[in-house]
Amino acid sequence: MIIAKLEFLERARLDRETLDLWIEEEWLIPARRAPELAFSEVDLARAELIRDLTRDLGVNDAGVGVILNLVDQVHGLRKALADVLQSMRERSARSDAAASKGEDRDRS
Amino acid sequence: MTDPYEILGVARSAIAEEIQKAYRRLAKKLHPDLNPGDRKSEERFKEVSAAYALLSDPEKRRQFDSGEIDASGAERPRERYYRDFAAEGAAGHPYENRSGYADFTEGDDIFSELLRRHAQEARRARGRDLLYRLSVEFLDAVNGATKRLSLPEGGSLELAIPPGVQDGQVLRLRGKGAPSPGEGEPGDALVEILINPHRFFTRQGDDIHLDLPVTLAEAVLGGQVRAPTPTGSVVLTVPKGSNTGAVLRLKGKGVPRSGGRGDEFVRLKVMLPIEPDPELEAFLANWAPGPDYDPRRDLQP
Repeated sequence: MIIAKLEFLERARLDRETLDLWIEEEWLIPARRAPELAFSEVDLARAELIRDLTRDLGVNDAGVGVILNLVDQVHGLRKALADVLQSMRERSARSDAAASKGEDRDRS
Repeated sequence: MTDPYEILGVARSAIAEEIQKAYRRLAKKLHPDLNPGDRKSEERFKEVSAAYALLSDPEKRRQFDSGEIDASGAERPRERYYRDFAAEGAAGHPYENRSGYADFTEGDDIFSELLRRHAQEARRARGRDLLYRLSVEFLDAVNGATKRLSLPEGGSLELAIPPGVQDGQVLRLRGKGAPSPGEGEPGDALVEILINPHRFFTRQGDDIHLDLPVTLAEAVLGGQVRAPTPTGSVVLTVPKGSNTGAVLRLKGKGVPRSGGRGDEFVRLKVMLPIEPDPELEAFLANWAPGPDYDPRRDLQP
């Protein structure tokens, strides 16, 4: 789903200057560039996080960049960990299945 | 909602700074995006946010204290958090960052192997597709053209518009999208084509429609007239006694399609002289049409 610039400003409760700044800092990467900027739902959720950080949590601009970078790293790690766990589970399921097959053969 | 003071853990007499401090202490622990693995605290965070929204606004706080409003805040509920998107599959979003575990992929045990595979997949991930929109002139869409799309971030894209392109059609420029975050292929540029209307042609599928004005004499006596088509004008024979609404077909003068072209349909429109014409008036005053001449016959109730 693509969100047009105006709708994005409204839903994220942002003004144009702030949005331009966030894009310039690469805190946000718009989904579409031409003829008008447009955004996706992930950009919107990220904008709300940035707003929480700057407005409610009192993080300054330098801090926002650091936090976003770390948050994205945490997500990268979580995904890698989820992948590894998934593979391990599959492996152990396969070896369980092989083991029980072996038992069946022993019995017959 | 329970008492907002209780939720934030502050006294009713707390000053603004104390409320802010209490909120920040809680938000750090409870904000779903700062604690992506904690699924239980989201509800709690919503309560804390609502309480803070109420108490951090002096006017709302005053109204609450004096009992004018209750604590069921009007804060818009958050539908989804950033973490909900960031957790989605590998082709998720442009903010992915794998530098948090890059060093773990170097060993030769099974975990390193798994992480290595994961990192490799991420490195090979394609760049994002970028979406653009381009409006083209009607005739360029029919006949094809080469257009240059200048990009807001600088640079431009050369775009060959194929003859017969349709309104809303999306052209894909392979490899012209965002670069891969790693070593994968760049994404594609997707250009949605919007066709501007034409002054006198309209298009229905592969056919072109045109209203062609003819003089009274051309309509009554027949004759040769020039008619525009998307590829230049052609001479068209108007049969004797052609009425307004008569449709003539120009075969193969429509929009190119695979294996030929559509047709152009020319609808005649009889036009009287713009200035009153005494001779015509004099003629018609003395002219008695046959008994069958009743153009409103079909409108009889």
